[in-house]
Parts: sequence; C-alpha cells; structure tokens
Amino acid sequence: MAGFKKSPWIIHYDASSCNGCDIETLACLTPLFDVERLGVVNTGNPKHADIFVVTGAVNEQSKSVIRNLYEQMPEPKVVVAVGACASTGGIFRQCYNICGGVDCVIPVDVYVPGCAARPEAIIDGVVRAVGVLEERHRAMAQIGDRIDQTQYLRAEKSDAPQILALQYVAYQPDAQVYGEANVPPLQQTLEELERDFERMVFVKAEVNGRLIGSARGCANRQAAELSRVMVHPYFQGRGIGHLLLTKIELAFPGVQSLQIVIGNKSEQNLRWLQRQGYQAVQTEPSTPATTTVHLHKECK
Amino acid sequence: MSHWLPLVIYLAIGPIAGGLLAGWDRRISARMQSRRGPPILQPFYDVLKLCQKQNLVVRRGQNFYVLFFLLLVIFTGGLFFAGSDLLLVIFALTLAAVFFVLGAYTASSPYSFIGAERELIQMMAYEPMILLTAIGMYMVTKSFSVHDIAAHGTLLVLALPGIFLGFVYALEIKFRKSPFDLSSSHHAHQELVRGITTEFSGRALAMIEVAHWYENVFLLGWVYLFFAAWPLLGVAASLLVFGFVIFVDNVFARLKWRATIRGAWAVALALGFGNILALSLLHHW
Repeated sequence: MAGFKKSPWIIHYDASSCNGCDIETLACLTPLFDVERLGVVNTGNPKHADIFVVTGAVNEQSKSVIRNLYEQMPEPKVVVAVGACASTGGIFRQCYNICGGVDCVIPVDVYVPGCAARPEAIIDGVVRAVGVLEERHRAMAQIGDRIDQTQYLRAEKSDAPQILALQYVAYQPDAQVYGEANVPPLQQTLEELERDFERMVFVKAEVNGRLIGSARGCANRQAAELSRVMVHPYFQGRGIGHLLLTKIELAFPGVQSLQIVIGNKSEQNLRWLQRQGYQAVQTEPSTPATTTVHLHKECK
Repeated sequence: MSHWLPLVIYLAIGPIAGGLLAGWDRRISARMQSRRGPPILQPFYDVLKLCQKQNLVVRRGQNFYVLFFLLLVIFTGGLFFAGSDLLLVIFALTLAAVFFVLGAYTASSPYSFIGAERELIQMMAYEPMILLTAIGMYMVTKSFSVHDIAAHGTLLVLALPGIFLGFVYALEIKFRKSPFDLSSSHHAHQELVRGITTEFSGRALAMIEVAHWYENVFLLGWVYLFFAAWPLLGVAASLLVFGFVIFVDNVFARLKWRATIRGAWAVALALGFGNILALSLLHHW
C-alpha cells in the first residue's frame, strides 16, 4: 500500500551533540528543502511517529530517553542515526560519559554520514528509511496474515541467534522498569544461550520460518522451572504466549509442579501468569534493585 | 425522497470532500510560506498509513470514546443534511466533542489532560455563538428545521450580517485554526506534544482525522445555509470562508485561553446578540 511510502512521520531527538546536525535536520523543513512535499511531518510525539531520527552521541543520561522514545513508537518503526556522532560516537567517542553511537542503545537501520550532516544527506537518509519501513511493514503484514498457521516446535541450538534477537526486543519494556543492567535476558551472550541448550528445553513459535515467540524450561527433580516465555511485541495479545506456555509445560510430563520466577514490578505478566493458573507463593529480594516473585502451579 | 439525497451525498462524499479540503489547506498553507507543500491527496495517504500502524493505547477505553466521537460527528452532519432540527444538531455536535474530551481524559497523561482541558475551554468559547446563530436563523425563517431554513426564499446573510461574521469567528475555533488552536495545532507538532491527540496512535488517530473531515464538511454546510437562496453563491461563499480561515491561520499567532474566551464571548455579544436585538427591534417597530 502507498501509505508508508507517502507519509513518513518523523520524531527527532538530539542525544548530546553540538546541535549542528540538529539544526540541519530542522533546515530540511524550511522553504529551500521543504520535506513536507514528500509527506514528511515533524511530529515531536513518538506515538505518532514512524521514523526516529537521532542526532549526536549517546551519553548516560540520554540512553534511557532514547530507549523510552523508541519503546513508545508504534510498529513498524525505523531508526535513522544522523551524523558522525550518532553513527559511531564521533569525536566524543572516548569521552568518559559517552557510550557510543545510537546503536549502543537501540537497533539502527540507516546511518547518515557527515559532520554536520547536510540537509540533502538527511533527506536521502529519510528516503532510505522509508524503504526499510515499507519492507518491514510488508514482512509484518505477511506474518500477521498467517498468524493462525503458527507452529509451536522444539527449538534447536541453531535457533539460538534468533532467540537472542527476540529476547532483546521482547525484554525492552523490562529494561525501562528495572534498568538494563538488572535484566538478565538483556545481558545474556550467544555463548551463554548456546550453553543453556545443553541443560534446558527450548520451544519456539514460528511463522513462515520466522521466530516470533519462545520459552524455555529445565527439570529440577519433581519440579520444572520455566522461564523467558516471550512473544515479539507486535504479535502480543493474540494467544501465542498461552500456546507457548502450554507447549513448554507439556515438555515435562513427569513433574509434579511447575515454577516460574519473575520480577515483582512486571504487573501485567504477573496477572497473565495468574490467569494461566499460576499462584504466587513467595517474594524475595534477588538483587539490590529487584525483588522476585515465585509462582507455582500443581500438575494434575 | 429529495429529503434523503443530501444525507446520502454527505455520508458518501463527506469524507472525500473533507480530505480534499484538508489537502488543499496544507497545500495553500505551504504556498503562503513559499514552500511547495504536500500533494492534495496527502491527508488520505496519512490516514491510510495510520490504519496500518500498531494501535498503542494507555487504556483500552480511550479508543472506544474516539469511535463514539467519530460516530456522533457523522450523526451530527447526518441530522443537518437530512434537514433536521438545528438545535438537535448543536446538541449532537456538543456531545461528539464531549466524547473526544473524555477519550483524552481516559488516557491519563499530563499532555492529553491539558489538551482536553483546552478543548473544553474552546467549547465554552464557541458554544454561545453557535446557539445565537441557530436563534438568529429562527428569527428570520420562523423555523429551526434545516430543511425549512434552506428552503427560505431570501438570503439569510442580509438579515444576519452580524451573526454571519460571529459564526465565521466561531468557525476559526471549531476548525482548530490559529489564533485559537489551543487544544491541538495542525502545525506546531511539538507544543504540549500535540495536545488532545497526544495519546492516540494508529487507527484511533485515523478515526480522529476522518471525524475532522466530516465535521469540516458539516460546518461549511452551515455556512452555505446563510446563502441557501442562491445555491451557487452559497458554495462559493463556503469555499471562500474556508480560504479565509486558512489565511487567518497563517497570519496570526496563537492567543492565550483567556483572550480566546473573552474574544469569542465579546464577538458573540456584540455581533450575535446585537444582530438579534436589531432584528427584534425592527420587527416590533
């Protein structure tokens, strides 16, 4: 459909630059360049935006703001890093408070070079971003159309990279609640995940060969400990989580009870698990920043 | 049968005409700022895209209210074009706006709260003038029915010049144009983060857009009523008023909410009530 190509709405955020790229981005709106003729609207509201334009290197303070803005944008969305600083950290790269380019916080789709990036280059970046946006929308729509054909299968070690990528996307809301450093799924490396395959059972939800959900669990004598039941944010609320949970529960036929441990501030997940028949049995502090809730379900 | 024809035309052509008007608005505004501006069909592209976006909500109730806003706006225009009672039309219009405000209040966010409060202030500002317009039309035609008013033989604007000007003033507020775009501006997307529409995304935002199209067509229909005796002049006057509203939008900066209310009420009193007073004095004389 023509919609995405003809109406890219932009939100732009200045992470911590010299404001050079920032001003050039606004220059695109002036009569000389007039990006509105391409349907571009500079919204200032993440909930209305399709393209997230970030200028400047990312420092410790802007990190959470960028993640927050990104999380508030509805799918499908694209990120454009404008200028040398936003792409790599630029001349601020070695500063004590700089963690690098925008891609150290959120996935970036288009990099616009320049210091400061010229308006022509920025417009070119936005046009490329529109291409990515369309592509992404098409892929999402294709999967969305076949959501009833989702397959729930055992995952193999070769699925690990896909599971890790999904994990990174699915646990972003938790990073906002607990802080990125306190969310173990976001800290896990590919090697660790691959090692997990030796002691845990993994299941996956797959459409058209693309992974949109996953869960894992390991047997512990009479009980099975389930963890990381996750669904891609775009496909949540369609019952995929429920079927994943059922599938992983069935993977442990001999056990007497099932256990899940989650953070106490994840209220939505807590309510969801209670609807699935789990009961909170105890709460205990796990790290200084987080308290965990232990949930329990008897097997018939 | 001819009773229902305008209604059917409104329901079918309303959003298309409204969308084209919105596109025209953006194009003309751009030209006034010496820019090229987007294509005329841009509002349709926007709505098409919004329909395909993910629907993010703070609370599920908010989109429910927006749906009612859209339905009631269509209902308002429907009543109007079916030739129903003008007072009923005003009542439905107010109810529609109230649902929009409720939707913004449901999405508990400070930005949408401010937008909702400002929308209420705007409603307080234009409501007296809209009511006086209906009363003025009644005084000339002896009927509140849109059908009878449209069938009246004389040009209403000749008897109601003050009310017409006051109504155009109220239209500035109703079209959400500068200097009265307090609750949500078409241009300043970064002030108060888009006011009343801040928390709406995807399909809900598309519904709000379509509701505005319907609303604009209905309001221009009301302008036509002032010139209903000469249909061609009526159409020309409606388009001219729309052009004037765009012009004013580009020329003026925004007013504060106090100035908006004071200005709107002063105009309603001087032009609206003054006109009605003059009419009744002439009548008794």
